[in-house]
Amino acid sequence: MTLDWSVVWQYRAALAEGTATTFLLTIATMAIALPCGIVVAGLRLYGAAPLRALATGYVELFRNLPLILVVYWAFYVLPILTGLGLSALATGLAALSLNVTAYNAETFRAGINSIRRGQVEAALALGMTRTQALRRIVLPQALRRVLPVLASTWVSLFKDTSLVSVIAVTELAYVSMQVRAQTFRVLEMLTAMAVIYWLLGYPQAKLVDWIQRRYAVSE
Amino acid sequence: MSANVDLRAKASGPSVVRYLDVVKRYGSFTALAGVSLDVHAGEVVCLIGPSGSGKSTLLRCTNGLETIDGGEIEFEGARLGRDERTLRAMRQRMGMVFQNFELFPHLTAEQNVAEGPRTVLRTGLAEAKRRAAAMLTKVGLADKAASYPSALSGGQQQRVAIARALAMEPDVMLFDEPTSALDPETIGEVLNVMKVLADEGMTMLVVTHEMSFARRVGDWVAVFDAGRIVEEGPPEQIFDRPATPRTRDFLSHLGWDA
Repeated sequence: MTLDWSVVWQYRAALAEGTATTFLLTIATMAIALPCGIVVAGLRLYGAAPLRALATGYVELFRNLPLILVVYWAFYVLPILTGLGLSALATGLAALSLNVTAYNAETFRAGINSIRRGQVEAALALGMTRTQALRRIVLPQALRRVLPVLASTWVSLFKDTSLVSVIAVTELAYVSMQVRAQTFRVLEMLTAMAVIYWLLGYPQAKLVDWIQRRYAVSE
Repeated sequence: MSANVDLRAKASGPSVVRYLDVVKRYGSFTALAGVSLDVHAGEVVCLIGPSGSGKSTLLRCTNGLETIDGGEIEFEGARLGRDERTLRAMRQRMGMVFQNFELFPHLTAEQNVAEGPRTVLRTGLAEAKRRAAAMLTKVGLADKAASYPSALSGGQQQRVAIARALAMEPDVMLFDEPTSALDPETIGEVLNVMKVLADEGMTMLVVTHEMSFARRVGDWVAVFDAGRIVEEGPPEQIFDRPATPRTRDFLSHLGWDA
């Protein structure tokens, strides 16, 4: 078997563009899933009963469905439900956001619950409103505590963006597969893809380790 | 009663906090079974008694951290607010110090003390910092302004917590077993700060197991047992001539010789 690694170099522009899309998807998904996660967690913790049930239902649904199924579902069902003709990228972004928001909501909820009751009481005793106590005292501490978890979610998300290749979002995995199909250079392209994901993912994972050390809770 | 009033030198002042037959239940457990007590301006009232006798519960009802199931609590002549807004306005005038300090761990000592004025009183940053500096100086921790709670000893944390409460310029200070979580060697520094406050005329309500503090600093002592006040009086009476067997029992368990 002869290997021809030149295809990787030959398609470098397409691969670079795919990589950029992968990063874009990761960043955009997190940009959506962080605030939405806080809102969903807030609804589960402090919402009126129907809102709480709704938020719980949402989290349990999307946390327990395979992401690839959500991606397909968003591709076929979302346009029918919304009547919008979404681009593949927007559809992929929606699917990823639905999934990661559910995870982030659970992370935030656990973080908020981990702050002991006395902290809120101390804030209330000063005369703060419940909202002020949450915003000024509970959330800053909770965010610090869940930062390592969020960072891990980030790294998972970076890799999971490859799943939206099934609906032809031109991210790194999709581009690699396209090149493979055109050139029949299967081994080369899969290897190239693996190397790119790993080289980009490894520093992120190291960053997570650093964050976990840096923000270790000391009381 | 009239004999008591004579012994109660500061009782001529207006009532700051007044409890009228206060009842508090947790399910089938009655934590407070009808407690009445007056706290006058400038008085240091110490609540003593065995664990679970209701002292801390009464303190926590005072600023509405717990709601009462019967009776009344009056603060500065007005009924304790049942609605959030009135309650908040009252809490701003009551400082509270907790057994476990409950400093905000993500804020420095200075930020902890400035947080109330900043967020609740909406003072400017400069005014909040000025108050923080003044209060930290008062508790002897001006040099720890930039330290986080985790870098402070228990005694230092509790003094910062006292400074945090004082920064709101409260009319009354509520102390909930302020030295119970401390190492023996740091208890003294906290009690000294409390003594200075008392000498300055701060109205104080202190739940404590430090009998010598109650004896030395208290103007009035209330002995709790099973959700009731079994005896109240000036410290000389409580500690030297306890009138009820329950008080004598409690004090002798602590090794206090009347």
